[in-house]
Amino acid sequence: MPMIPWFKNLPLWVTAVPLLGALLLLFIPKAKRRLLELGAFSIAILDFILSIPLWFQYDRTTSAVQWVTEMDWIPSIGVKFSIGMDGISLVLFMLTTFIGAIAVWCSFSAITERFKEFYIWVLVMQFTMLGVFICQDMFLFYLFWEIMLVPMYFLIAIWGGPQKLYAAIKLFLYTLSGGVLMLVGILAIYFLQYKTTGVYDLSIASFHNMAGAIAAQSQTFQVLLCLAFFIAFAIKVPMFPFHTWLPDAHVQAPTAGSVILAGILLKMGTYGFVRFMLPIFPNILPTLMPCFLTLTIIGIVYGALVAMIQKDMKKLVAYSSVSHLGMCMLGLFALNPNGIMGAMFQMINHGISTSGLFLIVGIVYERRHVRQIADFGGLSKTMPIYATVFMILTMSSIGLPGLNGFIGEFAILQGAFQAQPWWAVVATSGIILGAAYMLWLYQRVMFGPIDDINTPMKDLNAREIGYFAPLVVAAFWIGLMPSPIMNVLQKPIENLVMQVNPDFYKGQDLEKNKAEAARLGIRAMEAAPHAHDDNDHGDEVGNGGQ
Amino acid sequence: MPFAQALWESLVGDSPLVLPVLFLWLTGTLMLWPLDSWLLKRMPKERWSFITAVILIVTCWFVINAPNAIGFADMFRVDGVTKGFQIICIGAGVFTTALGHKQFDALKEHTAEYYALILFSISGMLLLVGATDLVSMFFALELMSLCIYILVGYLRTQERSVEAGIKYFLLGAFSSGILLFGISLLFAATGGTTTNLERLGQAIALAPGNHDLLVFSGVLMVLIGFAFKVAAVPFHMWSPDVYEGAPTPVTAFLSMAPKAAALAAFLRVFGAGFHSVSENWIAPLSFIAAASMILGNIAALRQQSIKRMLAYSSIAHVGYMLLGILSMDTQAGTQAVWFYMTTYLFMQAGAFAVVIHLQGVEEGERIEDFRGLGKRHPLLAFAMMVFMLSLAGIPPLLGFFSKFYLFRLAIIEGFVTLTVIALLTSVIAAYYYLNVVAQMYFKEPDEKELGRMGICTSTVVTVCSAVLLVGTAFGPWIMKWVGKIL
Repeated sequence: MPMIPWFKNLPLWVTAVPLLGALLLLFIPKAKRRLLELGAFSIAILDFILSIPLWFQYDRTTSAVQWVTEMDWIPSIGVKFSIGMDGISLVLFMLTTFIGAIAVWCSFSAITERFKEFYIWVLVMQFTMLGVFICQDMFLFYLFWEIMLVPMYFLIAIWGGPQKLYAAIKLFLYTLSGGVLMLVGILAIYFLQYKTTGVYDLSIASFHNMAGAIAAQSQTFQVLLCLAFFIAFAIKVPMFPFHTWLPDAHVQAPTAGSVILAGILLKMGTYGFVRFMLPIFPNILPTLMPCFLTLTIIGIVYGALVAMIQKDMKKLVAYSSVSHLGMCMLGLFALNPNGIMGAMFQMINHGISTSGLFLIVGIVYERRHVRQIADFGGLSKTMPIYATVFMILTMSSIGLPGLNGFIGEFAILQGAFQAQPWWAVVATSGIILGAAYMLWLYQRVMFGPIDDINTPMKDLNAREIGYFAPLVVAAFWIGLMPSPIMNVLQKPIENLVMQVNPDFYKGQDLEKNKAEAARLGIRAMEAAPHAHDDNDHGDEVGNGGQ
Repeated sequence: MPFAQALWESLVGDSPLVLPVLFLWLTGTLMLWPLDSWLLKRMPKERWSFITAVILIVTCWFVINAPNAIGFADMFRVDGVTKGFQIICIGAGVFTTALGHKQFDALKEHTAEYYALILFSISGMLLLVGATDLVSMFFALELMSLCIYILVGYLRTQERSVEAGIKYFLLGAFSSGILLFGISLLFAATGGTTTNLERLGQAIALAPGNHDLLVFSGVLMVLIGFAFKVAAVPFHMWSPDVYEGAPTPVTAFLSMAPKAAALAAFLRVFGAGFHSVSENWIAPLSFIAAASMILGNIAALRQQSIKRMLAYSSIAHVGYMLLGILSMDTQAGTQAVWFYMTTYLFMQAGAFAVVIHLQGVEEGERIEDFRGLGKRHPLLAFAMMVFMLSLAGIPPLLGFFSKFYLFRLAIIEGFVTLTVIALLTSVIAAYYYLNVVAQMYFKEPDEKELGRMGICTSTVVTVCSAVLLVGTAFGPWIMKWVGKIL
């Protein structure tokens, strides 16, 4: 696809727009609520619209980093201002602009004080998150990774629930301690690189090239280095046993905060695994894998079991995140294309369905200011639209075929099965439990007799339908036609698997494999480039399901 | 007599090296007499702060223009390092003068002594950072410390100020004794030939084997003496009490200038002088660094008074900077420490400016006093947030960048465990720095009226926060500049 020169820096613009918008909001007087809301919303929408051309510009035939912009920043220590994206970043980048706009939109009625600060912080937050996905330099990455904490801290600590200070500082300290360990890891690799190559370079590509040199080091060194990165990302994901900040943060955060947290922030951790852990430590990963996998599987089952007994709706959704992201990690640790593809899908799906569920909780909370499941019941009688949306999002969360959740979970299980069948067996229990707690939640909130106090609750208004609609559409779109996203992810994931698990391709010819699959009528997760020519979406799903 | 003539010639010939010091001595003395009694009738005493600031800026000009050379029988050296640290000390003096004038002008007593003492103590620091001989170093250290003892106890009508002064004096005298004893042991180890750092370093490295204990205890005692001056654990006991008791502007001064000067001397002694016997001090100094980071940060967690909190946190920051002294690459270590100290100067000056402003002229310095500052005074609160986050090392503020630079060096030098400790304790630090932020933004304000901010305070706050905010973006220039002058 030809690149129009102005478009070459488009990702940079998309990243900068929220920051510039936040600066713009500074000049709007504090009292002008309507203006602030609409201003913030139009900036977020503008950002999303600006990011759409990226989707069409992206060259799907290569795994290379695109839209590269590089400048020297601090040459004496090898820090560059370098940005660019590959398919993996692009997908999450788009998700960020998408969820960002919804997070702003859903706050119009929920935020009743200090609006100006709120929208400024949300936009700054969006800037830092986009920054994480486009940077191609470790220094820059670390910078964005840490800055992100400050807006999130304020979002929770000002507009949060009764325990907000505790939750905010917990989130901050947890993530910061992971971050500093990562910094040690970054510096160690940086120094090792200087020893082996004689240059200081902090670019991500050069870190990937260090994989061989790291593999030549002692086992202890490799394990420690790997753990430094692992803990940083595991806290952010969060993986069991580093997950305890998550329920607190989610429960205390305002709805928009939860949406951003679930929709995007948690993806930083998984993105870190995809971008750094897997390519940099291919040698030591198999050694540590039993340990990582145990934690992952505990996370899946434990998250689901704990979610089941929750009395607070928001906490339930929060724990379901632990379980869902455990699935995502399982896919990554399978180290094969299907698993990683599934994990990427799981990230997107979790961003859509869990954000949606937090919005769902936000709706009743706004109306009643309680969130206990026991306080509700029979809502479907007075709130039919709400009930429908809730149903769709629940189904998407538990992975009903035809909706987005299914694609990710299926691919993950497929990948896990290829790698080690019993992982898939255990993980399946997580899915079953997931269906149980979600449906049980739905049943308790939506059906049964309705209290007098709940009777006057109003159904969704136009604005609320407005921000649920894109989520529902996205859930169906991904569920019925996942191939466009697969096409974008295809090459980068192949490249990643080549880096982390070259044995996977050993003795098998990729092209031949694909031809074989096509002959058998299995298009599976390989998603050949012509896949979206196929108009029959139902067939697509059927094939996806093998 | 030829000797007397030679002495005279060397003194006159080398005098350009210490021109800034001479200038400070002259103006400081004039300030006490006769200007104090003579001028006081003709001008309001508020002018003193202005005059002091002008004197310091002129001194800075002298410092920049001083020739790079060694003089006074190899006792004093002017080079990039000397100048770099001298500028920090003078900058600290200027900030202190700007911050303290309101409080001191409100006093009934004469204030000329206060400003003169600041000038004298800075002259001691200027000598200290350039001293290349243990004797001249000790002399300079004492000149600096004596003035500061008096400054700490300056509010002689206030019990806690006097108490702090006495405490500092007694403990300081004790540590000076240890330092002096260490110097004499080292002098003995060389066979009584030299105290010049460079020659001493060579001599003790070659000292006969049965002198090992002598060298070790000598180095250790010098280390203790310096650790006391920079308030590193376990020789930090004086610092929280003194910080709390001293008049707040003096506390600000104490946390910036003497630290910078003592660290510069630390770098010279251990980087240049004792480099050859590093096996004697690497382990104890590593212990001191680690203990300072851990204890400083943990103790700061529970403080109610912001001054005590900043005192403990400055212990921790010294712990970080000791990483730079541990570095075997002396030049890189010096650069990293200098850079960190400069950043620290801005963070500390800014934070104290806010504290002093909130405090007004009376005492009242609990962290709770920051409650609701975000509503009462949004800009000031924002600046304070910048200082706190920068002290905590949160990017993209300059405090992060200087930490990154220091830790990068430490990893390259192989101090991985220490760096991990440093980073993990900086997470602890984030907790108490954020506590101040939380007070400002998440608590309801009480009804206390805030005075108007003076032009001096607002300038200091603006300059400091601006430097910290945009500093990282100018990384290349900063790094180039640091590399050039040091």
